[in-house]
Amino acid sequence: MKITIWGARGSVPSPEPETMRYGGNTSCVEVALSDGSTLILDAGTGIRSLGLARPRAQQPITILLTHLHLDHIQGLMFFAPAFEPGAEIAVWGPASPEASLHQRIARYISAPLAPVAVRELPSQVSFREAEPVEWRIGPARIRAQPVNHRGPTLGYRIEDGGAVLCYIPDHEPGLGAQLEQLGEEWISGFELAREATLLIHDCQYTDEEYPAHVGWGHSSMSDALTFARRVGAQQVVLFHHDPLHTDEFLDSLATVAQERWRQLGGADGQLTLARERLEIELGPSATSASRAARNGARPVPLPAATSRTPAAADPLTPAVAYDACPGVGPLRGGRRAAA
Amino acid sequence: MSVQRPLEQILARNLLSSITTPAFLLGEGGVLLYYNEAAAAMLGRAFEEGVNLSAREWTQVFGPLGEDGRPLDYEQLPAVLTVREQRPYHGTFRIRVVDGGERKVAASAIPVVGLGGSTGAIVFFWPVRERADEAAQRSARAWEHRPPDRRASRNRSGR
Repeated sequence: MKITIWGARGSVPSPEPETMRYGGNTSCVEVALSDGSTLILDAGTGIRSLGLARPRAQQPITILLTHLHLDHIQGLMFFAPAFEPGAEIAVWGPASPEASLHQRIARYISAPLAPVAVRELPSQVSFREAEPVEWRIGPARIRAQPVNHRGPTLGYRIEDGGAVLCYIPDHEPGLGAQLEQLGEEWISGFELAREATLLIHDCQYTDEEYPAHVGWGHSSMSDALTFARRVGAQQVVLFHHDPLHTDEFLDSLATVAQERWRQLGGADGQLTLARERLEIELGPSATSASRAARNGARPVPLPAATSRTPAAADPLTPAVAYDACPGVGPLRGGRRAAA
Repeated sequence: MSVQRPLEQILARNLLSSITTPAFLLGEGGVLLYYNEAAAAMLGRAFEEGVNLSAREWTQVFGPLGEDGRPLDYEQLPAVLTVREQRPYHGTFRIRVVDGGERKVAASAIPVVGLGGSTGAIVFFWPVRERADEAAQRSARAWEHRPPDRRASRNRSGR
């Protein structure tokens, strides 16, 4: 399995000079399976870039939505394959007693919130509600399970080729719970994340910020790390960065998180902060899981200047190249753009 | 490998553990999954993780009891009715506390229904203040039902 992060930001897109290294696009993760097919986890604004980068010939497309908050579906209407005649797109998401998945998504992709309606999309879009049973897509076994967040929200467990990815981008496992002491059966998301090769998990708040955001459905850093340690995840990517957290802030958070991880008994190299275009390859789940992470696997020509030129710019070209975040793990950085 | 509790049970437990209203959390079939510290204080015994008493077991331990001091018909307990019929019930009865005494409580049982169907109930309790005559009658009944040897020992002590 190869994972590419196209959006790591939570709540609202935050494309600002101060957030360019980690990125301002909201949640979207691409999962390339062992047979070459692809799953897309969430459709935040990051899915727009993913859609532009995706070869047109790839069929069909599967999107797994964790929930329907705007930061996880906002990119659907700007997903290029949705406008390709004949493209087949299957959208999975949480069930709700209130309305079908199709009806709930159509509230966004319809007037007055959108210039088009779902039924007008040239592609063939189907909506399927994920049930708490395991199912297969291509070579992958997939399991969805409700997790603690505001509103019907799923986490996903994807197993392929001996590797296990667990994706829980919006999660507050520590709400009213002492994660260090509770039995496994009483921890939201535990079975889903158990011994995952890679756990992508909500880490929106610092420990200092969290008391003012209890019950908002997101995790403090310590709760995210404690959860990861409890479930025995081999690698952890901290995700869903708060829109107020600048690149420098996240650099500092990474250092603090690394130290906290060590205090919890974690090893160096297991922990990473999510950033756009981060790629991670997962080998079979084993005591020494193979992992190679690098930035920008797709060729990304650097612009001559740091400011973007609208229209003429390649939409995949970031204004500033990414660099390794010190102290976060064995990521090999890209080149810094010329000043 | 433990079985993950349904999310609604997890959240219900988290809620009950954070409030001071005495409460039980029941699972499928009325099994006792958890009771909070306020309930523990009322009962006089802390909740034991992993014990998961069945409905018949915990009603034998805690009651409830009718006004005559006898155990209520199991099939008529609000908690059991709530889990079975998936609708709220309310009742007033007595419960046993750890020192052998009894306490009069009112209880409201609310079904907890997840997307996959009913998974149990939350039962909230609160103490009901007894009238003086009720307390006297209850004390008299307790004396009558006490084993002879305990009545005899109390008579000798003069208290």
